[in-house]
Amino acid sequence: MIKNKKPIIKLIKISKKYDEYGVVVNALDSVSLNIFSGEFVSIIGPSGSGKSTLLHCMGLLDRPTSGKVYISGKDTSKITGKEIASFRGNQLGFVFQNYNLIPRLTVLENVLLPGLIMEKDQKSLEEKAKVLLKEVGILHRSDHKGIHLSGGEQQRVAIARALINDPAVVLADEPTGALDSDSSKEIMELLVKMNRKRNVTSIFVSHDIEIASYGKRVIVIKDGNIAEDSKGRREKSKQILKKFSRMTGG
Amino acid sequence: MGISSRLAIGELKDHKKIYAIIVIVIALTMTSFMLENAYLNYMMQVVDDTTKLVTSDAIVVDEDSTIRDLYGTTVELKNAGEIARRIERDIPGYKTSVRVTSQGTYGLGEEGEAADACTIQGIDPKKDNDISGIAKKVVKGRFFKDDDPILRGHTPLYIEIEGPGNLPDFTWGTGEKLFEDEEPYPIIAGVAASKTHPSVDVGKTLSITISVSGRETKYATVNVKIIGLYESGTPLLDAVMWFMHGDSLREIKGYGEITGKDWYIPGIGTFKGYHPITIDRDRGDAVLVKAPEPLHKLNPIGLSEEVKEEITENVPFLKVYSWHDFLIYVTGSMQDVVTIMLWGSIAVTLFLCAAAIKYVMDSIILRKTREIGSLKAFGARDRVIFKIFLYQGLIIGFIAGVLGIIVSLIVINFVNWYGLSVEFIAGTQLKIGFIINWLTLLIAILLPVLLSVLAAAIPAKKASMLSPVEALRKGELAL
Repeated sequence: MIKNKKPIIKLIKISKKYDEYGVVVNALDSVSLNIFSGEFVSIIGPSGSGKSTLLHCMGLLDRPTSGKVYISGKDTSKITGKEIASFRGNQLGFVFQNYNLIPRLTVLENVLLPGLIMEKDQKSLEEKAKVLLKEVGILHRSDHKGIHLSGGEQQRVAIARALINDPAVVLADEPTGALDSDSSKEIMELLVKMNRKRNVTSIFVSHDIEIASYGKRVIVIKDGNIAEDSKGRREKSKQILKKFSRMTGG
Repeated sequence: MGISSRLAIGELKDHKKIYAIIVIVIALTMTSFMLENAYLNYMMQVVDDTTKLVTSDAIVVDEDSTIRDLYGTTVELKNAGEIARRIERDIPGYKTSVRVTSQGTYGLGEEGEAADACTIQGIDPKKDNDISGIAKKVVKGRFFKDDDPILRGHTPLYIEIEGPGNLPDFTWGTGEKLFEDEEPYPIIAGVAASKTHPSVDVGKTLSITISVSGRETKYATVNVKIIGLYESGTPLLDAVMWFMHGDSLREIKGYGEITGKDWYIPGIGTFKGYHPITIDRDRGDAVLVKAPEPLHKLNPIGLSEEVKEEITENVPFLKVYSWHDFLIYVTGSMQDVVTIMLWGSIAVTLFLCAAAIKYVMDSIILRKTREIGSLKAFGARDRVIFKIFLYQGLIIGFIAGVLGIIVSLIVINFVNWYGLSVEFIAGTQLKIGFIINWLTLLIAILLPVLLSVLAAAIPAKKASMLSPVEALRKGELAL
């Protein structure tokens, strides 16, 4: 069924090379990948495998050295900085490992931020933000400063913030990386819930097999290449994760 | 309010302590600038009130006259009236007045007891008042009136002294005794002279010996009656500068058509003078020139040079001195040097403030790199990031400017209200004052704003150019 749909993110032979102290590092090596609308994708791989770089390229935070990134059918290699910013603001939502809440802003203001950057009407944004905060279970703390919240609470706020502009895709880079196991589970369940309820495509990166198992589609990155891709098949995902677990000694 | 300004204000609140220090330093620098400028404006006012009594904006004299001769020994300027009219005709907006000048020596108390000297400026009360505003300076008595006894109808007796030397004793009391039944010439003296000599006061009559030629030793002794005392603000000039009606001085100096023979008085000698005279108002010793009021007085010295050049082009065969030339002659270049040094120190302080702003913002940006990365991830364009930091500079500069102005106005109003003054010569007081103008206020706001915006622009540009992924990777966790 998926094969007949147009991908929301399409990567064609993207490579990313870094120059670190004179040494060229191939973070990504000719990666091609299609992500379809509504998918819940986990990208797993050992440290330094290129999974975060892949996420950054999909999120237009980084430009590949070669290859093309299509988002919603648009070739992003040909668009201006202004259009890229607009893409990031309107089409994509980001969740970071360290939450990245602005400490001096309240929870509500943090959630509003991407909407205000996109110059949307504040009143309707506030209404939407309150709905989102209720959905992530943090509405009661909307007037608190972000810095006064626990890690799990901050990440809930970050998820609400990622959804404020109704993005087509939410990209999460190690969303549970700074959380304890209980909070990690809660956050992952929240991401799953949002994916189902809002049908928002979700892609997250993790090095943790248990966290990665939340993904319906599991992609393994190794040495800058896609080593495995379950393509949404539940059994295949399980096999991949088992194999990865054995490979990493987990 | 846009997102950039909201975040900029938030940043300022986050770093209020360090920014407060910067704001205070800039504000104090601007206070210093304002006070300095307001004091210079005041000094310019004093210059207007004093130096310009002698020169107005510029003074044209004969090519043989030196700047020293402005104290009353100028050589007669041929066709002074024609030169005055020519300048008015050729340079639009310029006003002129023909002035007659002399030096005088007056006796004090009993005959031969004591004497003091003054420079007598013979003025055209109406035209000269427009140009130099003398009438406004009269603080006791009055200015000239139309029915004052300006002319006697004849010249006084002249005494010629051959070669250098002092006036012979017989000159004292000669003229006034010969013409003691005649009305004395009205004269206006300076307050400083009055404070030094009790016999110099309104209503008092003095015998005064006046030089009636530029460089030759030819004198006339006449009676003068002090009708008013003026105060310019600079006691030194008040002490030495007196004002007569220009026609009175023309009559005394013989500037007109003279008829009759010389006189011989047995036992004393031959005297020239006491001849009927019809004065010639085209004759004089100098032409005072006033330029149109400038739009601002930020660079009055430069303006004085321009005025001087313009007049010199019109009368290239004569000497032109500006008020600044005269000021330099009287006070030396000390004030100019002090002014340059003060401007220099203000510039250095402002530069250091700019460096501090840049340094603080650089360090903030370093700490906020991850936050900048997040904002970019949320769709913030480069210019949004640029504006966040630029607005901080703008706000810092504006607050510093306003604070500087408030502090300056408090100091200025207090000093002006309290009436601060310092001891000056001849028991007089020199007032310290400040005059603030709109241009100074404008600069006091614009300069710190411009400075801090420029200082903020460099780190702001750097922040805006950060790649989002690099920004997210780098930076401390200051979120």
